[in-house]
Amino acid sequence: MENFINQALLKPLELLGHQVVTVLPNVLAMGIILLGGLCTAWALGVFSERLFRVIGFDHLCDRLGMNAALLRGGVKTDPSRLVGRGIYWTVLVLASIAALGALNLTPINQFAQSLLAYVPHLVTASVILLAGYFLSNFVSRAVLIAAVNAGLPPARIIATCSRWGIQILAGAMALEQLGIAQHIVVVGFGITWGGIVLAGAIAFGLGAADLAKGFLEQRLVARSKSSAVDDLHHW
Amino acid sequence: MSNSLTPLTAPTESRIQEIGSAEILVGIPSYNNADTVGHVVRAVSVGLAKHFPGCRAVLVNSDGGSSDETPAIVARTAIDFQYLFIGDQQSILHRIITPYHGIPGKGSAFRTIFEIARRLKIRACAVVDADLRSISPEWIELLLRPIMEEGYDYVAPYYLRHKYDGTITNSLAYPLTRALYGQRVRQPIGGEFGFSGALAGHYLEQHVWESEVARFGIDIWMTTEAIASGARICQSFLGAKIHNPKDPAADLSAMLTQVMGALFALMEQHEGLWFGQEGSQPVPLFGFSYEVGVEPVHVNVERMVAHYRQGLTDLEPIWRQILTDHTFTQLRDLQGTSGAGCHIPDELWVQVVYDAATAYHTRIMPRDHLLKALTPLYLGRTASFVHATQGLTSTEAELKIESLCHTFERMKPYLVERWQPLSLQPTAPAPLHHATTDAGGHHGELH
Repeated sequence: MENFINQALLKPLELLGHQVVTVLPNVLAMGIILLGGLCTAWALGVFSERLFRVIGFDHLCDRLGMNAALLRGGVKTDPSRLVGRGIYWTVLVLASIAALGALNLTPINQFAQSLLAYVPHLVTASVILLAGYFLSNFVSRAVLIAAVNAGLPPARIIATCSRWGIQILAGAMALEQLGIAQHIVVVGFGITWGGIVLAGAIAFGLGAADLAKGFLEQRLVARSKSSAVDDLHHW
Repeated sequence: MSNSLTPLTAPTESRIQEIGSAEILVGIPSYNNADTVGHVVRAVSVGLAKHFPGCRAVLVNSDGGSSDETPAIVARTAIDFQYLFIGDQQSILHRIITPYHGIPGKGSAFRTIFEIARRLKIRACAVVDADLRSISPEWIELLLRPIMEEGYDYVAPYYLRHKYDGTITNSLAYPLTRALYGQRVRQPIGGEFGFSGALAGHYLEQHVWESEVARFGIDIWMTTEAIASGARICQSFLGAKIHNPKDPAADLSAMLTQVMGALFALMEQHEGLWFGQEGSQPVPLFGFSYEVGVEPVHVNVERMVAHYRQGLTDLEPIWRQILTDHTFTQLRDLQGTSGAGCHIPDELWVQVVYDAATAYHTRIMPRDHLLKALTPLYLGRTASFVHATQGLTSTEAELKIESLCHTFERMKPYLVERWQPLSLQPTAPAPLHHATTDAGGHHGELH
C-alpha cells in the first residue's frame, strides 16, 4: 500500500513539483518581462506622443492631408496619439514575444521566431503603403492643377485615376511584400492595369479622335493661330 | 555676404584684362534673338556715342547658348555714325560676348553681367532685353544719366502700354510691391533697368544665384532688393515697349508662378521691412512724357471666364486650403450673381492675394502647387478688369489700377494680421554701400 502510494500518487506529484520548480523561474521571468514591457510600452507611448505633439507632427500631417484622410476613414484621433498608441502596441507585442520565449518551450519558440521573421515584411509593406498614399496625393493634386490650367474638362477624373493608379500599385507591392497570394496579385495587377490602358486607348481612339487631333494641332502646328485668338500680354 | 568671384570663361577674363576699366556697361542677355538683337545693339551703340561720347563704355552680351546667330550678330553689327549726326564719338565701344554659367535663365545671364561690371569697376550699368523692337538710342540716356549725373542707384523703366498689356504687372506686381514697400515703381518687372556699379556689387553679394531667382523672377528681385537696400530709386519714361511676340497662352501658369513665387519669397525675406510700412510715395520720373498710339490687344474674355469657372469647381478643395472661408464663400457667391461674366471686385482680389501670400508663408501645401492653383483665379480677375475697363481710355484704365493700388494699401492690415513673422525681431536689410574708385583703382566705401 505504501509502495502504491509512493509510486502512483507521490511520484507524479513529485514529478509535477519538480517540473513546476523547473518552469517557475521561467514563468517568473515571463512575468517580469511582461511587466517591464508594459511599463516600457506605456512610457515610450506617452513620451513619443508628447514629443510628436511638441515638434508639430499634427500640423505637418494636417498640411499633408493626413488628418482629412483619417477623418474620411472615421478616425478622429489626432496623428500624434496614433503614433503613440502604435509605439505602445509595438513594444507590447515585442515584449510578449520575448516573454513567451522566456518559457523556453519549443513550439512557442518556433512561433515567436516566425512572428519575428515576419516583422520586417510588415514594416516594409507599411512603408510602401504610406509612401504610396503620400505620392498619390501629391501626384493627383499636381495632375488636377495642370489639367485645370490646360483647360481639360475631365480634370477631376484624370486626377482621380492618377490617385487610384498609384494607390493600387502600392497596394499590390505591399501584398507582394507580405507574401499574400504573390502570383495572383502580380498577374491580377498586370491584367487589370493592361486592361485599363487598353480600354483607355480604345476609348480615346474611338471617342476622342477629334479632341486628340485638336490637341496635337494646337501643340504642334497652330501656335500662331492661338495668338490670333488672344494676344494679351500678361507680363 | 559673399565676396567670391563668379566664374567667367577664359576669353572673357582676358578681354576684361585688355579693357582694364570702364565707366559704363550695357548688358544684353540673349537666347535665340537673331531677329532683333542687331537692332538692339545698334540702338545701344548710337545711344552711347550720342549721349556719352567721352565715357569708356562696354557692351556685354550674356548669351544662354543660342542655336541661331545671336552672338555672331552682336559681334559684327556695325554703325555708320556719319548719317546719325554723331561726329564727336571719342572712345571705342568695347564688346564682350560671353556665355554664362550656372542655372539656365535670365538671372544667371545678369549675374555674369554684374560680375563683369564689378571687375571693370563700372560706374553705371544698364540692361536691355534682346527681343526689343521699340528701343531707341534715347533709352540708353534715360537709363544711365540719372545714375551718372543725378546720383540715383536704380532706374526702373516707365512704359506706355495698352490697358490690357502687362496684366500681371497691373493686377499683382505693381500694386503689391507698392503696398508692401511704399514705393510707386510702376513697372517693377519691366525688363530694362539702369543701376549703379555699387548696386551691381550688392546684387552679386546676395545668396540667390543658385535659387529660382537665377532662373526666373530676376526682374522683381532686382527692384525689391534695390528698395530693401535703401538705394535711391527713380523711373525713366521710355515710351512704348514693343518686343517680339510671345505665345500668350503658352505657360501662363509658369509665368505667374515665377512672378508670384518671387514676390512671396521676397515678402518672407524682407518681412521686417514691410511690416510697419504704411502708404506709399511717388518715385521721381525722368524723361519727357508723351502719348503714343499703342497696338490694339485682342482679349478672349470667354476663355478666361471658362478657366476661372472650371477652377472654382475642380480646384475647390485646394482653394479652400489656400483662401480663408470668408474669401472662398465670397468667390462662390459671386458666381451666382455675375451671370455669364466674371466680376471679382478689388477688395476680393486683394483678399485673394493676401490669403495666398499667407498660405505660401505657412507652407500649407507644396509651394509650386499653391502658385499654379492660382492661375484660374488670376484669369478671373483679368476678365473682371477687362469687363470693368471696356470702352475706357488707357488713362481712365490707369485710374482703375490706381484705385486697386489704394485698396491694396488700405487692406494691408488684413495681411499683417494674418502673417506670422518668422522672427519677432524685424530684420534689417543689408544696406547698399556706395563704392568709389580712386586713381589707383582702390575701392572705398561712402557712408
